[in-house]
Amino acid sequence: MKRKFWQNIMATLSLLPAWAVLLVAYTGSMIWSIQISFTSSRALPSNNFVGFDQYRRLFSTSRWLVSLENLVIFGVLFVVICLVLGFLLAVALDQRIRFENGFRTIFLYPHAMSFIVTGLIWQWMMNPTLGIQKSVRDLGWESFAFDWIGSRDLAIYALVVAGVWQAAGLVMVLMLAGLRGVDAELWKATRVDGIPAWRVYISIVLPLIKPMIVTSVVLLGIGVVKSYDLVVALTGGGPGMASELPGKFVMDYLFERQNIALAQAASTVMLITVLAVLVPWLYMQYFRKSGRSPT
Amino acid sequence: MNVSVSAPNSATIAASAVQLARGRKPHRLTAGRIGLYAFLITAAIFFLLPAYVMLMTSLKPMDEIRDGAIFAFPRTLTFEAWWAAWSSACTGLNCNGISVGFWNSIKILVPSVFFSIAAGALNGYAMSFWRVKGANLLFAALLFGAFIPYQVFMYPLVIMSATLGVYNSIAGIVIVHTIFGMPLMTLLFRNYYAGLPIELFKAARIDGAGFWRIFFWVMLPTSTPIIIVAVILQVTGIWNDFMLGLIFAGRENQPMTVQLNNIVNSVTGERVYNLNMAATILTAAVPLLCYFLSGRWFVRGIAAGAIKG
Amino acid sequence: MKHFLKAALAGVVIFAGAGVALAQEGPKAEVIHWWTSGGESAAVKTFAESYSKAGGVWVDAAIAGGDNARAAAVNRMIGGNPPAAVQFNIGKQFDDLVDKGMLRNLDDVAVANKWKETLPKPVLDAITRNGHIYAAPINIHGQNWMWYSKGAFEKAGIANPPKSFDELFADLDKLKAAGVVPLALNGQVRHMALIFNSLLVSRGGHDLYIKVYKDHDEKAVNSPEFKKVVEEFGKFRGYVDAGYSSRLWNDATSMLIKNTAGVQFMGDWAKGEFNLAQKAQGKDYGCVVGPGTQNYIIGGDVFIFPKSNDAKQTAAQDLLAKTLLTPEALIAFNLKKGSIPSRTDVDMKAFDQCAQDAAAYIKNPANQLPDYGLVMPPDVVGSIQDLIGEYFTDPKFTPDDFVERFADAISAAG
Repeated sequence: MKRKFWQNIMATLSLLPAWAVLLVAYTGSMIWSIQISFTSSRALPSNNFVGFDQYRRLFSTSRWLVSLENLVIFGVLFVVICLVLGFLLAVALDQRIRFENGFRTIFLYPHAMSFIVTGLIWQWMMNPTLGIQKSVRDLGWESFAFDWIGSRDLAIYALVVAGVWQAAGLVMVLMLAGLRGVDAELWKATRVDGIPAWRVYISIVLPLIKPMIVTSVVLLGIGVVKSYDLVVALTGGGPGMASELPGKFVMDYLFERQNIALAQAASTVMLITVLAVLVPWLYMQYFRKSGRSPT
Repeated sequence: MNVSVSAPNSATIAASAVQLARGRKPHRLTAGRIGLYAFLITAAIFFLLPAYVMLMTSLKPMDEIRDGAIFAFPRTLTFEAWWAAWSSACTGLNCNGISVGFWNSIKILVPSVFFSIAAGALNGYAMSFWRVKGANLLFAALLFGAFIPYQVFMYPLVIMSATLGVYNSIAGIVIVHTIFGMPLMTLLFRNYYAGLPIELFKAARIDGAGFWRIFFWVMLPTSTPIIIVAVILQVTGIWNDFMLGLIFAGRENQPMTVQLNNIVNSVTGERVYNLNMAATILTAAVPLLCYFLSGRWFVRGIAAGAIKG
Repeated sequence: MKHFLKAALAGVVIFAGAGVALAQEGPKAEVIHWWTSGGESAAVKTFAESYSKAGGVWVDAAIAGGDNARAAAVNRMIGGNPPAAVQFNIGKQFDDLVDKGMLRNLDDVAVANKWKETLPKPVLDAITRNGHIYAAPINIHGQNWMWYSKGAFEKAGIANPPKSFDELFADLDKLKAAGVVPLALNGQVRHMALIFNSLLVSRGGHDLYIKVYKDHDEKAVNSPEFKKVVEEFGKFRGYVDAGYSSRLWNDATSMLIKNTAGVQFMGDWAKGEFNLAQKAQGKDYGCVVGPGTQNYIIGGDVFIFPKSNDAKQTAAQDLLAKTLLTPEALIAFNLKKGSIPSRTDVDMKAFDQCAQDAAAYIKNPANQLPDYGLVMPPDVVGSIQDLIGEYFTDPKFTPDDFVERFADAISAAG
């Protein structure tokens, strides 16, 4: 009994570094940054408190409002398309096809590229005077148009295309791994019962690989909230401010525009939003039915 | 019971389950199969197109690039851009290409990957198998932390690392990477260990093994697959990092991405596309290599563990 | 084995190189800047040479992108390991660093070298805080230049460069009719704002510009003159091509070089592009301030010198500040950089015609205008650029809305 006690103490001790990181690095910085958002700091922190002024200014800045709206469009499309495409690719790869290794590597390799590189290369391909549009026109289809990055209404979708290219492979691999874990007996049974394969995938397999979907959504969600590099490299937020995202707003005001109070107000709003979405969802996913009782 | 025997067993079982693709017989070439391959090939083209353009561009001389046919095969093959990118492209007054930062990147990468994964594994293990007060709270808070743009933390972290005396050093950048890697690594390992059979742990306890002994002799040997996943994710993330390296590593230890940025983002003069593309591919080479070598293990690793997360 | 040997040898060489640098006497100054492109590197090299002639050792730390360079520098000051000198844009960017007492006061160097007598007033104002000087201005970049391609003008049958915006609009129509892209533009909002500011100076005049940007006078913003500028600015939407938004400014300049576009509004750093392409001023391309004004919008670069406890570093800084602003160093640097020297007492003989014109204009204080970055904080400048960009890219945006939101934006400058 005494021994068990000591072992549990050891387990607690082993988590001390994690607690230290959480309390000092994360919580400390978070409190600090929230506090800054209530001051009039510009390039460097100051202690001149101004209440909610920065928040008022934030929500009267049209660029911030555009960024929020874009975040919803980009976030939803990016996550949904990555999940759907990733799942379809995984299912296709799981049909005992030839060259499975080759296909899997092809779908996965873009994830090794940083978002900066992704943005750079797609900017080039989508540039109407250099890339795909020009090449197709040179082939003789004169009226072909693919000028999304130059269009106020379509630039945000250009971000989605490049983002999906980079991240769908990771989802595919996670899903494929999930599919491989599905018991072979299940397929035998459903075949005997004559259930069509697509129904099995939707009503039996999808629920089984839910942990993989959860992991994918967390990874993609982190990508959405932090997206900065991709915008900078692909559209620069333009034309005008048509494809701005909150991550870029924060970065611009932290550095180039030297108003860290406004930047921290913006990131505090993002934090609260993430918290509001994440906490109930995480609770459902991880803790409600965590049945295992540790020794 | 000998714990070190039971451990590899479960890994073998998991691995053998992985190797079986869906249990249907391969058919003859039906319409469905043709549609399937058509889908896969279309997708492959979408994913390969940018790589093709990058590679072709890096092998063309600038005259040809100015013509603007980005999909065309080079008329004159030249590797000049590759040599220049590696060893003679200029950033400011230094003309040594991106090779300068290569070893710095390695020096940052190896310890950062090691410590962040070690921390994640230990956290995940303690959280999944031991009764530790507040473990769930810790996990949720760490996960929440993963969503915060790290730029927001820059200023306090600079002050903290200066206080610790590790600012502008390899140690400083390694600590920063470990801190930022901890949430995701903890998530991976916690989910992985949650999927392992609890009997494994109980048997070891009955044999009288303690906290560390179980971790090193039972859990780590069964963790190979998820460790590979973690290595791949961390290698990609840390290798591609630019901002943290720039701010925390110090002038002598700047990673390769800083030189890449200097080469690619210098906006005066004609953009040297072939050089940019070559530099980009060279910089991505380490994570790419990692993917090519371990793609198979990547899938296997996830399947073996995190499945029941 | 061969590779290993090579690597080992390389290591020895690097090590030996470092040894030489250490063994050298004289103050050593690490300088952070963002001049990384070909022409810029050539310019910064002249500074390094001037410094070593004066007995110092220049340690170059180039980081592409002003934001990246400044972020690295400021964080190093906070972390207690500051570089000797850091490049900044002239203006309000370093206000906070002065307020927090992180920068060295350069009064002694300035007095000894007659900075006050030789710098234009907007420049002097921009480096002075509470009566003390905190930065070393090394150049003046004119912000309201218009460049034109002689080849494109010939195609459109235009004999002389426009002398006013009225003439310019007529020329743009001719260029369009001749099948040339009339206005070479790029996607960055800060460069769209250059057009707006040129128009504001040429049409609204010196006083309106000062009232709007320096005095933040809402009445001036609501005046009919200002609104006319806004309306006229909207007319430029009809003169750009489809691909402009994914272009950088130097890509736009190369359209002039290839004679596929007529005019471009850009600071005098554009000269570097023409020089790289070996185009001759007056023969292949030309320059006009305005058009239609001699008022010169003054921007540029400075070096700031972080405070340090290290006496060696302080000595290195003193020598550097003094060296950078000697006429010889200024001439060598600015010839390569495309700007003009910050001091007005420098012999301009070696410079091109555009630079000589500019230097002549700013001899008269009535022609000196500060760039908006010199008189407003960076966040306000940024929101004005956002607004101008939004207005330009959205044809449905009305001038009245623009005026209202512009007034809002400058009110934040206090």
